[in-house]
Amino acid sequence: MNKIAKLFVTFISAITLTLVSFTSSFAKVEGEYIVLGSAISLTGKYSSNGVHTQNGYNMAVDRINKMGGVEVQGKKYKFEIIYYDDESNPKRAAQLAERLIKQDGVHYMLGPYSSGLTKAIAPVTEKYKIPMVEANGASRSLFTKGYKYLFAVLSPANQYLEVAIDLAVEKNGGKGVKIAQAFEQDAFSQDVRLGILDAAKRTGSEIIIDDKLPKELNDMAATLAKVKAVKPDVLVVSGHTKGALTAIRQISEMKVDVPMLAMTHCDAAKLSKQHGKKSEFALCASQWHKNLSYKDKFFGSGKKYAKDFQKEFGYDPPYQSAESSAALLVFKDAFERANSFDRDAVRDALVDTEMQTFYGNIKFGPGGQNVAKPMILFQVRCKGDDCENRVVAPTKWASDKFYHPIPKWSDRS
Amino acid sequence: MNKVKQKDLILYSGLIILGLAAPYLFSAFKVQLTYLCVLIVLAMTWNLQGGEMGYNTFGNILFYGLGMYLTASVQVGMFFPLAEWTESGGEKTFVHTTAQYFQGIGVGLLISAIVPAIIAGAIGYAILGLRGHYFAICTLGLGIAAGEIAGGIEIIGAGQGFTTPPFPAEIADTEARGKFFYFLSFALLVGTFVFVKYIYGSRFRLILNAIRDNEDKAEAMGIQTMKYKIVGWMCSAFFCGLAGGIMGGLIGYIDSTDVAFDGREMGVFMVLMAILGGKGTLWGPVIGATLFHFFKEGLWTLILGWQYVALGVLIVVIVVYFPEGLMGWLREKYPERFGEVIDEKDRKAQVELK
Repeated sequence: MNKIAKLFVTFISAITLTLVSFTSSFAKVEGEYIVLGSAISLTGKYSSNGVHTQNGYNMAVDRINKMGGVEVQGKKYKFEIIYYDDESNPKRAAQLAERLIKQDGVHYMLGPYSSGLTKAIAPVTEKYKIPMVEANGASRSLFTKGYKYLFAVLSPANQYLEVAIDLAVEKNGGKGVKIAQAFEQDAFSQDVRLGILDAAKRTGSEIIIDDKLPKELNDMAATLAKVKAVKPDVLVVSGHTKGALTAIRQISEMKVDVPMLAMTHCDAAKLSKQHGKKSEFALCASQWHKNLSYKDKFFGSGKKYAKDFQKEFGYDPPYQSAESSAALLVFKDAFERANSFDRDAVRDALVDTEMQTFYGNIKFGPGGQNVAKPMILFQVRCKGDDCENRVVAPTKWASDKFYHPIPKWSDRS
Repeated sequence: MNKVKQKDLILYSGLIILGLAAPYLFSAFKVQLTYLCVLIVLAMTWNLQGGEMGYNTFGNILFYGLGMYLTASVQVGMFFPLAEWTESGGEKTFVHTTAQYFQGIGVGLLISAIVPAIIAGAIGYAILGLRGHYFAICTLGLGIAAGEIAGGIEIIGAGQGFTTPPFPAEIADTEARGKFFYFLSFALLVGTFVFVKYIYGSRFRLILNAIRDNEDKAEAMGIQTMKYKIVGWMCSAFFCGLAGGIMGGLIGYIDSTDVAFDGREMGVFMVLMAILGGKGTLWGPVIGATLFHFFKEGLWTLILGWQYVALGVLIVVIVVYFPEGLMGWLREKYPERFGEVIDEKDRKAQVELK
């Protein structure tokens, strides 16, 4: 027995030595680099959106570094990001945040993808007083916890589809509508659901189907069968990229006729490319669209950003990438205004942020959410087999009229 | 006998000193060390069923998840209305005072040990009659079902997840939280180890082994196998619940399927760790969990995107080359160090026969 024990002790001491040799901690600012940290979903159920987020971050880092970097106390610095893969798992994300802060010595964080993961990381950054600018955690409950070091460049999740209900009511002559809804069981989608509940109450609408969908969403036929039977005026679906893809696939397979279909994550799912005409008339909530008229000196306009992004990564940027790029612009701005690397000075500068980026205006409310930017809605429209997203609301940026109701499948060619 | 004990004593006190000093020696690694303690506890308790009793359970994650939700719920519920705390997007902010936080987590942990044990008893009574693959599949279903059910219960946050109370802000030391959870998990590890070691020296273990080797014969010899199987599972549930409770507080955010009833990761890891180290041994799960954790932490980030492929390769290597785990492999190589007496003549005679 004690021979094994000896072996075990040897083993432990070997590990101890390795650990000690690994404890060479980085500094927050190394030479000419400002080191940011981020745990991103490179694998797991959020991997496609995780990559959109990472591409957005990288694009902005390259651009800012190329255009002179960040000037603090008369010296130019460049951004650098340490990435880890959180495997789309909150438990892992929290652990990695700790690792970034404690072992890699990161003093400024960029957010992960999805509300759930942001919820897991926020307590950690808050504990160590690390300012985190996040671009992909929209859940309202993130902004009611009194976090002081959390800043989100996006609008909260409950605002995503409220406008869609308003539109439906408007089309119904101001009377309440019948709503069928199905939401994935995750922090983000459940918050979108809350927004719909509020909108329903406000407009006197009735919710006739209220389903929960599993994570790793691949099938919602049961919900759709009910929709076919009870004929609601609006069908609302939210479940990240997979939710959007599954909904369109099964709606077209089952030929479900519904006058209005409202969703989230259509552009991240590249819906108009993947499903073409089947996805026509779907109404989607979006944080950003390239046709909006916001501007900044790094990326120019939204259209210019989309073009550059396309050149770099080979696909049209979804809003997840755009908002991620915007997070870096916010950090740069805050560092320069703070003119210091002191975490609290940077945090105070972040509080006072008031700027325009290609992605939209950014100004943080008391809870850390962006209060200066409205959500937009677009509708998938096709010319022949060529489909694209057209902005239909709010009217200020609408390039097209909202098409209502959706023609029946039997009338669609 | 006494001599051996003395040497053991040196080993154990050495390990305990190392354990107590670890958070100061490797201050930056406290969270990983806490994970390590919890992983070892999970592997050791799984080993009680999978290794000693021969019942491959995938259901221990159920108790882990239950413990997590129970601790957090009690910790909040003792002082504030739970429904308002977890209400999605709740507008109100509740803050625990230092005393409330620690009282809450204390009582919560107590309950998170007792309730899962009782539930293990009840479920065990119902399903421990199943054997082999049937038992394994049934317990696999338990974990998955629990995750889905928890994701639908509003009062514990449903799909929104449950944010556990933040560590009291009045404690200015930012290291305090890390230390608190480390020592909590270390205490749990020591407790579990002492308990399992005690079982290893008892008749109880022999009965579990008898069940593993031939349950019908064991029954024929007058052992009430059902009773022992249930008690064994209850013991595992007790420690798994505690481990879950600690992890919930450490992670700070409970998600029904990804954090609490995380059968896909934790549920598989505990089996893997026990098998890697060698199931059916005292030290096997400890070594397996330690190796696994270091493999995971060290290599995981070096091979971003490929880590699960590497994990798959690791599983294949373990199963093919170390089917009995590291301890089993060592035992085969150096049987005399495990106190097995080999009759050289007999061994040679066997070789010659071949």
